[in-house]
Amino acid sequence: LADGILLERAGLPAVSICTDPFALTARAMAKAYGFPGFDYVSIPHPVASLSEEQIRARVRDMMPDLLRMLGAEGME
Amino acid sequence: VDVADPAITVDAAEVRRAMEYYADRGWTDGLPVVPVTESYLAEFLARTSRAPGDVLLAMPQLNRALTVRLAAINAALAGCRPEYFPVVLAAWESLAADRYPPRGIWQSTTGTAPFLIVNGPVRQRIGLNSQGNVFGSGFRANATIGRAIRLGVLNAFGLRPHELDQATQGTPAKYTFCIGENEEESPWPPLHAEFGLAPSDSAVTAMVIRSCVHIEARHTRVPEQLATDIAGTISRTGALIHETISAAVVLNPEHARLFSRAGWSKDDIKQFLYDHAACSRAELAAAGKEAVSSRTRWRLPADHPDALPLEGGDGPVRVLNSPGAVLVVVAGAGNAGVSAVVETFGPRGGPPPMTRIDSAASAAVSSQA
Repeated sequence: LADGILLERAGLPAVSICTDPFALTARAMAKAYGFPGFDYVSIPHPVASLSEEQIRARVRDMMPDLLRMLGAEGME
Repeated sequence: VDVADPAITVDAAEVRRAMEYYADRGWTDGLPVVPVTESYLAEFLARTSRAPGDVLLAMPQLNRALTVRLAAINAALAGCRPEYFPVVLAAWESLAADRYPPRGIWQSTTGTAPFLIVNGPVRQRIGLNSQGNVFGSGFRANATIGRAIRLGVLNAFGLRPHELDQATQGTPAKYTFCIGENEEESPWPPLHAEFGLAPSDSAVTAMVIRSCVHIEARHTRVPEQLATDIAGTISRTGALIHETISAAVVLNPEHARLFSRAGWSKDDIKQFLYDHAACSRAELAAAGKEAVSSRTRWRLPADHPDALPLEGGDGPVRVLNSPGAVLVVVAGAGNAGVSAVVETFGPRGGPPPMTRIDSAASAAVSSQA
């Protein structure tokens, strides 16, 4: 989340991605960086133990949110 | 008893009100803390030649830093006496020199705790336990010095659970984990002398740890049997996240003497553990940890897309990268064949983060004691 905020502040469009159990920490980190409302994509947990195909499915599912936050809707 | 002593005549309701105030502000690990005034703080700051604004540990990723003043406030909150403060400062310096805390390990799901080992004459001066029940409760210096670090982590860095501390389970060592080495009953040079300090110096060694695993070996007089038991404890597959691990082997004086009577030095123990703390490829594969990732060198199954090809045939796989990945420390009572493996986080090897306690500050302790 910090990386996403720092990239945005450096002028590079960025979207942070966290899994659902990290919502509390994501909010705390955004607050620590002075950006309490920072929007990010939250996806189901876990990721580390998924197969390659399951990872691809996670990416497909998050893509609309990701593009919306980048301001690039309809460019899929 | 002096009835004018404010400790006796103070209004207990006021004391409770102050304690509740600190709890309400969240400036605690859950246990009551000691209220801190500027004048009490000054007693801590008088124990060091360092300026209150000096930074001991910075975490730029959180835009926060722990200064000498913040370390003193949290030491006082933790219940330290002012004369413990030089030990707390040395602990912070060692933790800042460890590779993991500045890089954000206390935000990690692993949930590590600071582990402090104190050597030298300061142990007697402040009553720091190195003998029976060394990992347990009952000693103010051990309890509050370890707690001073944890309160600093919570209060100065805001690394609180359910916020920036993402520990999945953590460890009970997160309340406090500070031991003295039992130098008086050790057959070997103490830890700080092993790494170049004078035995008459006092020092704090600090690392982050995940667990403290207990070894029962009351039955044996054979050093190879005892060392094999320890090696088997170090090499449990559950500890393996990275390719290799590291350990502080805390021997009680009875086990230490068993080794030394057989002519073993600390280096002999480290070499034996390096050679024997190993898993068979089949054991690793049964746990899905036989390969390592090409990106992170974390352990994973051989059929994972990131796995590097297996090397080294079917022989045992060492879980330590070098004999130096093991520290040998003597602590506890010499009353039974019970020792422990403290699982230090990361592969490690080489000298541990160790800080000599400021002798000017120690002199202040002596002159005011």
